[in-house]
Amino acid sequence: MKKDGKIWIDGMDNALSDQSLSGHAIREQLAARDTVAVLPDVWVIKIGGQSVMDRGRAAVYPILEELVAAKKNGVNFILAAGGGTRARHVYSLGLDLNMPTGMLARLGASVPVQNARMLQILTAKHGGIMCYPEELEKLPFFLNAGCLPITSGMPPNEFWEKSQAEGLIPANRTDAGVYLMAEFLGAKGVLYIKDEDGLYTDDPKKNPDAEFIPETTASELLNNGQDDLIVERVVLEYMMRGDHIKKLQIVNGLKQGQITAALNGEDVGTIIRA
Amino acid sequence: MSELVKGDGRTHISSGLMRESLVSRRLLKETDSASVKSMVPDVNMICVGGRSIMDRGAEAIIPLVDTIAKLNGNHRMVIGVGGGARARHTYSIGIDLGLPIGGLARIVGGVEENNRDILQFLLAPHGGITFVKDHFQDLQLFLKNGMIPVCIGQPPYHFWEPPSLEAGQLPDNGPDTGLFLMAEVMGAMSVIYVKDVDGIYTEDPQKNPDAELIREITAKELLKMDLPDMPIERELLRTLENARTVHQIQVINGLKIDNLERALNGELVGTIVKSSRAK
Repeated sequence: MKKDGKIWIDGMDNALSDQSLSGHAIREQLAARDTVAVLPDVWVIKIGGQSVMDRGRAAVYPILEELVAAKKNGVNFILAAGGGTRARHVYSLGLDLNMPTGMLARLGASVPVQNARMLQILTAKHGGIMCYPEELEKLPFFLNAGCLPITSGMPPNEFWEKSQAEGLIPANRTDAGVYLMAEFLGAKGVLYIKDEDGLYTDDPKKNPDAEFIPETTASELLNNGQDDLIVERVVLEYMMRGDHIKKLQIVNGLKQGQITAALNGEDVGTIIRA
Repeated sequence: MSELVKGDGRTHISSGLMRESLVSRRLLKETDSASVKSMVPDVNMICVGGRSIMDRGAEAIIPLVDTIAKLNGNHRMVIGVGGGARARHTYSIGIDLGLPIGGLARIVGGVEENNRDILQFLLAPHGGITFVKDHFQDLQLFLKNGMIPVCIGQPPYHFWEPPSLEAGQLPDNGPDTGLFLMAEVMGAMSVIYVKDVDGIYTEDPQKNPDAELIREITAKELLKMDLPDMPIERELLRTLENARTVHQIQVINGLKIDNLERALNGELVGTIVKSSRAK
């Protein structure tokens, strides 16, 4: 039962139990098999906070209409909400008070939940139902019941969010949470609904000369020195290492038909590939 | 900071980050601070190894529990614990089944909960209580009442565990990293990893008796050495490098019973790993 002073698990590879999990050898020995796709028929769709929610009825109503129509046409999806201006306000406040990144992540998590609840109220009659991180395992139930699961885009990191080399703002926000959820689910695809046609060489709201980029790769975006991006930087890093989600699509929800086209597999907006 | 700003179709709240994408590098740099505040700065995070201590059973656990109980009046402590052999078994089965990394991260904490419950049971006569995620902000309540909060280490990324940087497909984030991250928000006085070796060696001391014990090193240097094995997680080193409120950790041998008290008193009894940011 005890070997080298330790209680052993019978039948388990000794090499495995004898090394720390930091060992290169053990990590290579435990290299993954082909991982299963958990919900391969489901899209994960993020509704932008600042770009959509903060525009109110004028933007949100038509987008929800388009999404509900897609659902009636048999498209299966989970809706995730971004944060937006209130998240920026609370980050400003936290930064003014010299709060650590973990605390900022905790603060920033509240706003996407508010937005998700707004979306749930608006879509309840079409099956909109809140799905909290603890309930992710109930997704098959929600989907099979014909519901429209709505989540906060934020990952559940909160106090456990890591400090970054530069700046105190949490690196994992709603774009990252949505990507990671889709990657875990082995989802059919990830769609980010924003208020721009996609990615530009600079912020098109501030620089009218910014050029539209219809298709690019994660490594190109990470290496070209561009200061601003339309998705969180960590998403690009994650997708280069991810197993399932090797493509993201960003569409303009304000232009009617773009969401539907993307869900039909058309190349609208910007496509980023790993 | 509370004025509402309209005019571009969106309703903003006036603030330093208004209209910003929060992705801009230039902007992120401006959000740094040299004086990040701590939540519970007078606490010590004691990280008890799963494989190195818990799997040794009574022989290693009881003396450690007695030491923690004895030190409780003089030092405020949070006790965290890893999974050990059962965590390895979980990964081994999970990977064979083809579970994605988020699935592995979701289930591995279950075996740490066993270890937390064992330590809590043993420490209960001296004030041991379970300390769970949702009570993070109640920490002062426990400490001011002389209690010894005991928690698991695995950070609650669960299904949201990022794809790994390291070889294979195991989560980079384990209990060492999770406990450090809690300590960083607390701004803990010290973070001590209680293991069954005297510290970090240049090589495996069991295989090479000439291996040298490293006394003090930066996380950056240690990462660069790329040791084939280490008593702490590599992700802990990357996390320590970027941390703002905690600038060093110490790895000690918990089988030598005086070590914990000496480390709490600031002595170097094992290996100290520092962030390059440390002054």
